[in-house]
Amino acid sequence: MIDQETGSGEHVRDGLEPDVYPAPSTRLQRLRHTDAWRSVFRHPQLDTPRGRALQSFSNVFLHIYPVKVPRRVLRLRYSWRLGYIITVLFTILVVTGIYLMFFYTPSVTAAYGDMQQLRTGVGFGQLVRNVHRWSAHLMVLFVVLHLIRVFFAGAYKRPRQFNWVIGMVLFAITLGFSFTGYLLPWDQLSYWAVTVGTNLVSYVPLLGGVLTDLLIGGPQIGQSTLQRFYALHVAVLPLALALMLMVHIWRVRKDGFAVRRGSASAGTFAEGATVGRDDGAHDSADESTADASPVLPAATAMALENGDRIRLLGVVDRESVTAEERLTDDTVFAWPHLLVRHVVVGLGTVATVLALGVAFAAPLRDIANPNLTPEPAKAPWYFVGLQELLSHFDPLIAGIFVPAGVLLVLTLLPYFDRNPATESKYRRVAISIFATILIVAVVLTVIGALFRGPGWKFVPPWQHSYLEM
Amino acid sequence: MATTRRNLLRTGWKLGGGLLALAAGWTSWELLRPLTVAGATGKLKLGSPANFKPGTATFVNEGRLWVANADGHLFALSQKCPHLGCRVPFCESSGRFECPCHGSVFDIAGEHISGPSPRGMDQHPLTVENDQLIVDTSKRINGPDPGASKFLTAPKGPACAGNG
Repeated sequence: MIDQETGSGEHVRDGLEPDVYPAPSTRLQRLRHTDAWRSVFRHPQLDTPRGRALQSFSNVFLHIYPVKVPRRVLRLRYSWRLGYIITVLFTILVVTGIYLMFFYTPSVTAAYGDMQQLRTGVGFGQLVRNVHRWSAHLMVLFVVLHLIRVFFAGAYKRPRQFNWVIGMVLFAITLGFSFTGYLLPWDQLSYWAVTVGTNLVSYVPLLGGVLTDLLIGGPQIGQSTLQRFYALHVAVLPLALALMLMVHIWRVRKDGFAVRRGSASAGTFAEGATVGRDDGAHDSADESTADASPVLPAATAMALENGDRIRLLGVVDRESVTAEERLTDDTVFAWPHLLVRHVVVGLGTVATVLALGVAFAAPLRDIANPNLTPEPAKAPWYFVGLQELLSHFDPLIAGIFVPAGVLLVLTLLPYFDRNPATESKYRRVAISIFATILIVAVVLTVIGALFRGPGWKFVPPWQHSYLEM
Repeated sequence: MATTRRNLLRTGWKLGGGLLALAAGWTSWELLRPLTVAGATGKLKLGSPANFKPGTATFVNEGRLWVANADGHLFALSQKCPHLGCRVPFCESSGRFECPCHGSVFDIAGEHISGPSPRGMDQHPLTVENDQLIVDTSKRINGPDPGASKFLTAPKGPACAGNG
């Protein structure tokens, strides 16, 4: 730290000007003055507004965040940090997945042995596998919770429609991730769960046979299937997810990370478009503290704070630019305020999956046996609701039309639902339909996961638990 | 609209991109499509037909199929349930095929009796050459439609699925 802010209205000499750099007195300071150091770290760490902004601008990791965020974003209930927790879980999955790759061979003769070896012959091997497994389950769960929260907050509405679509693609990729990973241990649980899952695909009209062939790579699940699932699991899907996640996060910022919920007048695109007039309904959660002023985009806030004019070079709509005169600042720097909260939530997430990994071992049944179907053979828990539906209706209806229809309607929801209101009292129809779908899905999943036994007969869990994870 | 050099180039880029996508799709399909279309490929010799007694079902591991004798009629039944692909075991006590996954039940000829399966058990063609029963596992015939009950008889005894 070199200079501090002086009084208001006076140009701040914050140490970024070369002439005010103090003479280095310690070795570390001398090191930080070398060309080599400054080629890596462009700016010294300064606790001034401009210093923090420049640090964010010049650091690729910090620049994932906006320089400033509205104060209410810091509240836990603003988003419950669900999107962030998913990103942390994905990171844990990548790290633990890389460890597991050192010990795993995608071969029907070796895979199961590798799993056993991991349990008994590799230091912390079982723990890493457990953490990987529980993180995968939690990721599916949190993606669903994130989707539910975004729906109820009305955060899929203009201008964020397309980001909702990207979110649905990420949801599908997450399911694909979990499903392809399910087969890899090559035990009875994985073999039959994947058998049931892949046979669903064969009911797709016209393309069912081709898609099933492509997926399992042969007449039945075997070496080709294991190799295909492995390639999808460790290369194709991670790349797809990382790419889509990048776009998703980028659009969260560009479509209005900072927009006040209920502001029906949000612009069309670009950060400047997040400027909202105060003519929309407010989020009830914000009413207690929110003032009447609209939200300030980060770059605009910083420029105004420094008394500068900004030019957005035509990337924002005209209204956003003209609205600047009415802006006041209710923003705080993302670094450190938001970042510190994210670090805490991230550590909490890591602690939770570690605790789960220590407490509960990932299951490993007998080696896969194509000639012996276990009773019952259940799909992974996130598909077991579908399996329950399939026991009541024709597979074409229950396995294809219903899930594909629900996914399609959900994906295109922002384009069907043209109601700009985000408050629940103005969205009774949409909320009723969504809540019904949700309740039906939860009830089917609970019945399928907990209340079904051999022959898919009804067995209460207090008599015998057939829950498979 | 008049054809300008710009329009021509724009159309050329679109056509070129489309052709590239087609080529990528075709080569991917050729790379990824399975090279075999059925289970154990080709024909399997199963021995004399007299080995398969009436009212029995014998599992042939190489072909992953059952050879069932329903009142003197022989059937080669795929072990996969037409519902969701689980292996369907033969229940000796009931004399029926009972799927453990979703409870579909089939008679000894593979005809659908109950459960969510959309049809009876799929079959492979059987022929007899020089007193040798031969099954062609490269061909599969869809099982009989629901409601078929040509070989349906009362169960011999208690069911297996759900009792284990």
